Amino acid sequence: MSVASFSAFQPWKKLLYIRQDYPDNYVDESFLEQMQKNVNVRTHYYWTVAHRTCAVTQHISSIMVFTAIFVHLYSGLLSPATLLIITAVSVFIGYAIWDIIVFRQRLKAAIYRGRIFKSAALLLAILIGLTPVLKTLTKEISSDTVWTLTVMMILANLVFHDYSAQDVLRVRFPDSLSINAGIFASVLLSSRLPSNMHVLGLMLFAIVTFVLFPMFRRGFRNISPRNDLIIITLLSPLTVALFLPISLALVNIYLIGMLFINLICPYWLIHAQKYKSEIRGPWDEARIGRRGSS
Amino acid sequence: MRRLNICMVSDFFYPNMGGVEAHIYHLSQRLVRRGHKVIVVTHNYGRRAGVRYLTSGVKVYHIPHWLVYDQVSLPTVYSLFPLFRYIVVRERIDVVHGHGAFSSMCHEAILHARTMGLRACFTDHSLFGFEDASSILTNKLLKFTLSDIDHVICVSHTSKENTVLRASLDPLQVSVIPNAVVAADFRPNSSAREAGKITIVIASRLVYRKGVDLMVAVIPCICAQFEDVNFLIAGDGPKRTDLEQMQDKYGLQDRVKLLGAVDHARVRDVLVRGHIFLNTSLTEAFCIAIVEAACCGLLVVSTRVGGVPEVLPEDMVLFAEPDEKDLVSSLSRAIETIRTDAPNPLRFHQRVKDMYNWSDVAERTEMVYDTIMTDPHLSLVERLQRYHECGVYAGILACMIVALDYLIWLFLEWLLPREDIDVSPAFNHDLFLEICQKKITTRNDNETKQGTQETKGAFI
Repeated sequence: MSVASFSAFQPWKKLLYIRQDYPDNYVDESFLEQMQKNVNVRTHYYWTVAHRTCAVTQHISSIMVFTAIFVHLYSGLLSPATLLIITAVSVFIGYAIWDIIVFRQRLKAAIYRGRIFKSAALLLAILIGLTPVLKTLTKEISSDTVWTLTVMMILANLVFHDYSAQDVLRVRFPDSLSINAGIFASVLLSSRLPSNMHVLGLMLFAIVTFVLFPMFRRGFRNISPRNDLIIITLLSPLTVALFLPISLALVNIYLIGMLFINLICPYWLIHAQKYKSEIRGPWDEARIGRRGSS
Repeated sequence: MRRLNICMVSDFFYPNMGGVEAHIYHLSQRLVRRGHKVIVVTHNYGRRAGVRYLTSGVKVYHIPHWLVYDQVSLPTVYSLFPLFRYIVVRERIDVVHGHGAFSSMCHEAILHARTMGLRACFTDHSLFGFEDASSILTNKLLKFTLSDIDHVICVSHTSKENTVLRASLDPLQVSVIPNAVVAADFRPNSSAREAGKITIVIASRLVYRKGVDLMVAVIPCICAQFEDVNFLIAGDGPKRTDLEQMQDKYGLQDRVKLLGAVDHARVRDVLVRGHIFLNTSLTEAFCIAIVEAACCGLLVVSTRVGGVPEVLPEDMVLFAEPDEKDLVSSLSRAIETIRTDAPNPLRFHQRVKDMYNWSDVAERTEMVYDTIMTDPHLSLVERLQRYHECGVYAGILACMIVALDYLIWLFLEWLLPREDIDVSPAFNHDLFLEICQKKITTRNDNETKQGTQETKGAFI
């Protein structure tokens, strides 16, 4: 008897292989001791978040520019020759800056440059050859379907675009989907244009908008996050200028949207952060430690 | 003690194999032996639909139902109700006991049981995180079902902490009752071991959660360090190719044997061939595999995850953090221990036998049933209040589901009054035992071969 009453004072242990003198639903003081809350949560600062958001507004702006260019091309306000010249000039300027950024410290830069020029020439040749095909590819589809599909593809482009990527030379999975959606949207649009020259101009400009410009922005951002501000201050007046002859309402919506995304959304995120409750504990699936890590 | 009529409900039952299935089967057997009546309700397995009997008169209802994924039935909320009510009335059920958070049939059955004013309890067999979409969804569902539950049983203390958090329960409402092993099925046999070599056994499904990536990293290291150490891997799964690639890359076909899927009944024959058992799981509520291995007399090396540290004492298992370096060093220590001071398999067996047995589990589960039978009966309004605490919007939705369930119940009571449902005659277990005893005695009189001793052992 004395043994039994003594063992009742044995402290409870978190073990299953011994029978303890506690009921099965006993709750010890150590209950949930190993639980950790919000260990991985980072504190966000308003201006940093607002700065990072530029990646989103830049992409939206560049898609708006692309759309405006198409509208002007479609309405005949912009001739394809002018567009080709603008595209060529912007590609050369952009490439020059990009070359300086990326190949600053690389010794094998010459080989890379050779490859880039080779593939650029090849791509251009293929595109010129394919222009009549692209022009008629979706010609039979009714205009309503084309506009709807284009909007959907551009939304897909917006959703899957990799806003956080830092690697300038490689494109990862959801981003590749985004590029494909963008190019498909421009193929759809080009079927509504009157001549092959128009189509070539639009397709080249689409490549600039959906492939080259995002890469350029990433490289430019890597030098200094401040550069994001330069791009957005150049890009949004350009968007406004291009859209003014089309629709004043769209310009207003664009400006309000920009302010909302860039200034209010960061505040919203930081405000919502206090509701975050991340729980960790021994029940979580363990992450496998790397070789040599402790 | 009151004799209860208990209904176990789960999507997972024999012929499917696994921890939950074994748990329900063994628990039912022991409860029957303690004088209760137990039925099991599960969905159909292929053409196996209808009523089946198992040993000791445990009746299994295989309800025809649609499946969605991996033996989980389609969540339909109400479609199970008419048949379930019929079974429950027919069998005069007092307690509905659901198993497994993945089983939608179990969730539905608990909801209907509470609507019909029966006692409900739930056993959680697995751990969940709080991060990924599937966990969040399951946790929401669990919170709904467990809003109005009488008692919850978890298989380890870690699992209890997890369940209390996931379903926002009062911890006093949750009991910890571990799993158990049938020690007689896991007798050691040292002669099966290969002489002069040390064999490390792995027995698990080959999936990511079982830490196959760790196996792939650790096995070549150990093989390079110790010339006389071989591996024996039982189990199959999508990650098997990783192990095969590892075999090819390091030329270990002779030293690492992949046996493929092994019947649970034959696992013991694989286990006894080894000296050390390796468990590399990344998450585990209880880990019955290491208990079975220790019962066969193997020294266990395991990752320190989930409820594993609670399961076996320090001298039977060597723990490692779930990374390659720590696992290799723990395995090396284990190999050293086998060489210098090998544990006695029979002593291990005896100790595990004393730690875990199903009679003990049944006794403790019975205590849970006894407490919930004395709980006061809740009115519909009180039940709705409990469900309303699910969340701001979820609470309202939950109340709507429960209210509709109640209306369906009233409709069913009108459509098919319970007086019109036949009561199924109970299986007379005492008589069954008596007949068995008689058979054994007569057989013992007739023949005196050793085989009968085994049969007798199985019945007692």
